[in-house]
Amino acid sequence: MKKIILGVLLLGTVTGYSQSMEGMITYEKVSHWSKILDKLTFLSEEERSRSKTSWGSMDDDGDKSRGNLFITSSKSKYLDVEMENEGGYSGRNREYVIMHDYDTEKILEIEEFSGKTYIIEDRLVTPKWKVHNKIKEVNGYMCMMATSEDTLKGQKIEAWFANDIASSAGPERYFGLPGLIMEINVNEGEVIITAVKVEKKSVSEDILPPKKLKGKKINQQQYNKMIADFVRDSMAAHRNPFWVIRY
Amino acid sequence: MKKIFPFLFFILCFAAAHGQSSGRFTLTGTMADTLGNGMPEATVMLLLPTDSSLVNFGRTNKDGAFEFKGLKRIPYLLKVTYVGYLPFQLHIEPGDKESVELGTQKMTFLNQDLYEVVIKTARAPLSIRGDTIEYDPRAFKVPPGSSVEELLRRLPGMQVEQDGSITAQGEAVKRVTVDGKRFFGDDTKAATKNLPAEAIDKVQVFNDKTEQSRITGVDDGKHEKTLNLQLKDSHKKGGFGKATAAVGTDKRIAGKINYNRFNDKNQFSIIGLGNNTNSGGMSWDDYQDFKGSQSFNWGDDGDFGFGGGRYISFGGDDESLTIQAGSGGQNRGFNKNIAGGANYNYDTKKTKFNTSYYYNQNRQDLDATSKQQSFLSNLTFSKLDTNSRFNFNQNHRGGFRFEKTIDSLNTLIILSNMRIGSGNNDYSSHQEFYRGSGQEDNLSTVSDLKNANDFTSFAIGNTAIYRHKFMKKGRSFAASFGYNINNSDGFASQHSLNRFVKSAQEDSIVAIKQTNDTKSLRNQLKSSLLFIEPLTKKLVLETFYNFSLKSDEVDRDVFDIGESAIRNNNLSRYYSNKTDFNRGGTSLRYSHNGLNIAGGLAVQQIHMNGKFAIDQGEDFTSTLNRKFVNWTPNFSLNYDLKKNRYLWAGYNVGVDEPSIGSLQPIVDNSNPLYIRVGNPNLVPTIRHSGNLGFNYFNPSSFTRMYVGLNYNYYENQVIFNQTVDENLVTTTKAGNISGGKSYGLYGNYGFPIVKTKSNLSFNLNYNRNSNLTYINGVINNTTSNGYNFGIRSDYTPSDKFTLYANANWNITDTKYSISTSQNQKIVNGTYSAEMNIKMPSDIYFNSGFDYKTYVNNRFGFNQNMPILNLSVYKTMLKSKKGEIRLSMYDVFNQNRGISQYASSNFVTQEKVRTLARYFMLSLTYNMRGVSHSVRKKGY
Repeated sequence: MKKIILGVLLLGTVTGYSQSMEGMITYEKVSHWSKILDKLTFLSEEERSRSKTSWGSMDDDGDKSRGNLFITSSKSKYLDVEMENEGGYSGRNREYVIMHDYDTEKILEIEEFSGKTYIIEDRLVTPKWKVHNKIKEVNGYMCMMATSEDTLKGQKIEAWFANDIASSAGPERYFGLPGLIMEINVNEGEVIITAVKVEKKSVSEDILPPKKLKGKKINQQQYNKMIADFVRDSMAAHRNPFWVIRY
Repeated sequence: MKKIFPFLFFILCFAAAHGQSSGRFTLTGTMADTLGNGMPEATVMLLLPTDSSLVNFGRTNKDGAFEFKGLKRIPYLLKVTYVGYLPFQLHIEPGDKESVELGTQKMTFLNQDLYEVVIKTARAPLSIRGDTIEYDPRAFKVPPGSSVEELLRRLPGMQVEQDGSITAQGEAVKRVTVDGKRFFGDDTKAATKNLPAEAIDKVQVFNDKTEQSRITGVDDGKHEKTLNLQLKDSHKKGGFGKATAAVGTDKRIAGKINYNRFNDKNQFSIIGLGNNTNSGGMSWDDYQDFKGSQSFNWGDDGDFGFGGGRYISFGGDDESLTIQAGSGGQNRGFNKNIAGGANYNYDTKKTKFNTSYYYNQNRQDLDATSKQQSFLSNLTFSKLDTNSRFNFNQNHRGGFRFEKTIDSLNTLIILSNMRIGSGNNDYSSHQEFYRGSGQEDNLSTVSDLKNANDFTSFAIGNTAIYRHKFMKKGRSFAASFGYNINNSDGFASQHSLNRFVKSAQEDSIVAIKQTNDTKSLRNQLKSSLLFIEPLTKKLVLETFYNFSLKSDEVDRDVFDIGESAIRNNNLSRYYSNKTDFNRGGTSLRYSHNGLNIAGGLAVQQIHMNGKFAIDQGEDFTSTLNRKFVNWTPNFSLNYDLKKNRYLWAGYNVGVDEPSIGSLQPIVDNSNPLYIRVGNPNLVPTIRHSGNLGFNYFNPSSFTRMYVGLNYNYYENQVIFNQTVDENLVTTTKAGNISGGKSYGLYGNYGFPIVKTKSNLSFNLNYNRNSNLTYINGVINNTTSNGYNFGIRSDYTPSDKFTLYANANWNITDTKYSISTSQNQKIVNGTYSAEMNIKMPSDIYFNSGFDYKTYVNNRFGFNQNMPILNLSVYKTMLKSKKGEIRLSMYDVFNQNRGISQYASSNFVTQEKVRTLARYFMLSLTYNMRGVSHSVRKKGY
């Protein structure tokens, strides 16, 4: 980073990525199902408030899972961490790998949906972020707030990015801010993904793509349509779509 | 960046075509600290001023300089952030300059106090809007009931003096506003001293114009520190309730009211209901509204270890200690139900407390006629029974549950539930027994019975459960203690007149007139221990120990009532039994990536020690001292295969202790033609159970399938052997036998015909049972083959119309080894359809049609019951809170409560006089709104 190159062309979207840190970030994802259930349009007000009064306080701690993000100066890879079962039942890990290459502007995602594995290869399109004047500390890093919208799942995304980790990466499918995304808050607390550990280390091995790529190849647009159709059909059939897709 | 170059080329051409002035511009600048030293690695962002959209970003170089090239000629908001400094913001108006040079811009060091706030309080977003600093009070803990002043004292950069005056960032606060409005004039203390801290959502500090400049409208440049307190939009509190009242023809009435009030920590609710429409007590929805956050608590029984072979002393609906819901409607006879109760929950993360009281009563009138055919090896006889029953039952239930999370590793749960019940029943019956299949000339016995019974009962269950997690992940320990009491006292009077018809001689008549006072008391002390040790990340070892000590005491006094009451020493008993139970076991579980396999073994010992005497205080005439030791293996498999497929299997051995009723060495002659004798020599039943299943559900195509198989084999099964004497008096005595078994096979396949609009599904069931019983000393093997086939479809084209239809056929083929000529086939069929229509102006129409057929060709039994229910309703009032509904039940007046079944060595057909056609008008008010959907719930 001796010579800072900032003169990057732009056409309304962000095309400049500055990367410097290499390492692994562990995120914890907390999902509050009682809040997500509240979003189901086919439930009556009575059913929603009933589920809130009976399950709400049990859901205080939420449903927890973890994921690891590997970053280098130009690439990132995110994947789920298998939960350590504390003497309980173990569910099968759904395949989920998100790889970004910020130099070639490419994404490679391996995602299991409805029992099938899909490989999504496409151009990297940065979401539209709005940066706000709010700061807070996340795991020792001073972060600023940015917001965005996921029209596919109808979510308001609130991201907190660290100024002093120069990376555009983030957990799951979130990226595209001047600093590493340390926290994601979906729809005011339905799901919160927080960085719980930031390690600076060489990740040249970890960041390699999986050796075997098995699955149906589709592009981003096909993936978006598939998810949108699924959410629409499930709602029409009075089923909760969010058990199946990653919320 | 290869992709950029074609773009660049394009843009250059574009720029050239449009001339210089409309082209792009370059923005440069240098960020410096307060001393003027360049700040390297600062984050520089360009935003759109209209909505703060991020357009571009980068970092400053080692001298603090930055440069953006080729920017569109529009205004920007430049934002620079650097750890430890206030975010820097500057509006950029490019004008027609080719390059905008900002020169050196200084950033302000973030007040150390404020920095500390942000750094130290992880969950405290501090927002800075221009010169406004906003605090989130949630991050600054104050004791409950504190005033705002107390809260302000804790905010960094803020000082509250002894006299209540406030200083923020070194300046005196001149004005305090609440939600932007002045609060009791200019006294800054009025709001801060009087408002509770809990009500505050945000605290904002900013420089506001002086009063003078507000009035004059001229900004004199002077500002004064203002503190604004923003109140929480909604304190998490509210209430909801629902009331329904209905009247109908045939004196039918129904009513239900419930109300629930809650805030973030407390929930309080009441419910009251009553009806004479056979519609039962609380529904599951009512129950959930009533119990709120304490509706479902798992593992409260404190019994650890394998599910099978568990020592259970309480159960059953009316006998249960906890409030029962979902009992649903009763479709037999005429029922009146009354119930009501109150519930309170206190919920915090660390402490949960619940207490509730519930009362319910059921009054049932039942008139039935039945015909039963029994088969012996050399004889068939039939019984015609016309009876009338009245049952009254009431229960008071109360309890509490306390759960304390002591710290992250220790949890304690204490709960106590009790039930006080009482009731009475009257039973009168006229029974005629015929040899053969029921011709008049073969009349054997005529019997008239009149029994009455009054009872009271008391039961309490107390449990304490302590759970401890060790520092080592996955290692945990749990212990539970329980003390239960179950006490009952019943007084029965039994009258019967039995005439045995003899062809050669005079009929013999036996009259019985007795009273029977039975007191029973059970005490149980129990404890369980559980230790879980993770061996590896995937392997877990679970070890458990269960202990129980149970004592039963039964005192039964039977008197023959003649001119005076004489104690009947043959039927009276005093009986005391102590049972101790010990079980220890261990299991190993492997769980990884959707594969869960567990296998384990336990050994258990039941030790029974019983004593019997003719009466309390008399010498014990016999004793019983028996020990049973059994090994109980347990295996289970759950496998989440890929592609939405699941596989499961299990095998376990259960040890079922004989019920106290069948163990008691007493003779129950309440029906003198069907006498039940207990057997203290019974041994526990050992049940081997196996199951295997497969499930597939595709959430995007909505196709589903499941198949399953189960198998049970019984060793020492408790059966009821029959001895039928020449007068057709049946005496049953419990005994043990090995060899009974059952198999079941089931499958279901469903798929959408048109996705989200219509579905079709099929189900198929097969089960085969073989039960062994001794009939007059001859072993009889009853084998029944049950076949069930069903088809179900739904049609849901819109939110205005839905149609559901299904058909189900159930064939039971029963074979009796002692009398193969009696083999028979019972066919029960059900055809039903439901239609829902939404009409204009919120009027809904619902119709349900149910057609049931009952056929047994061997006995010429062929009955059918078409039942049609219709209702029309309309939502009304503001926000659809009201509903008016007109319902017609059983339009064809056909409900006759028919049932038929074959078992052991008999087959029965019964008809019960039951609530049939009536009309009802009901009104509902629901604070949460009456919502109607033409869709059936759960489809």
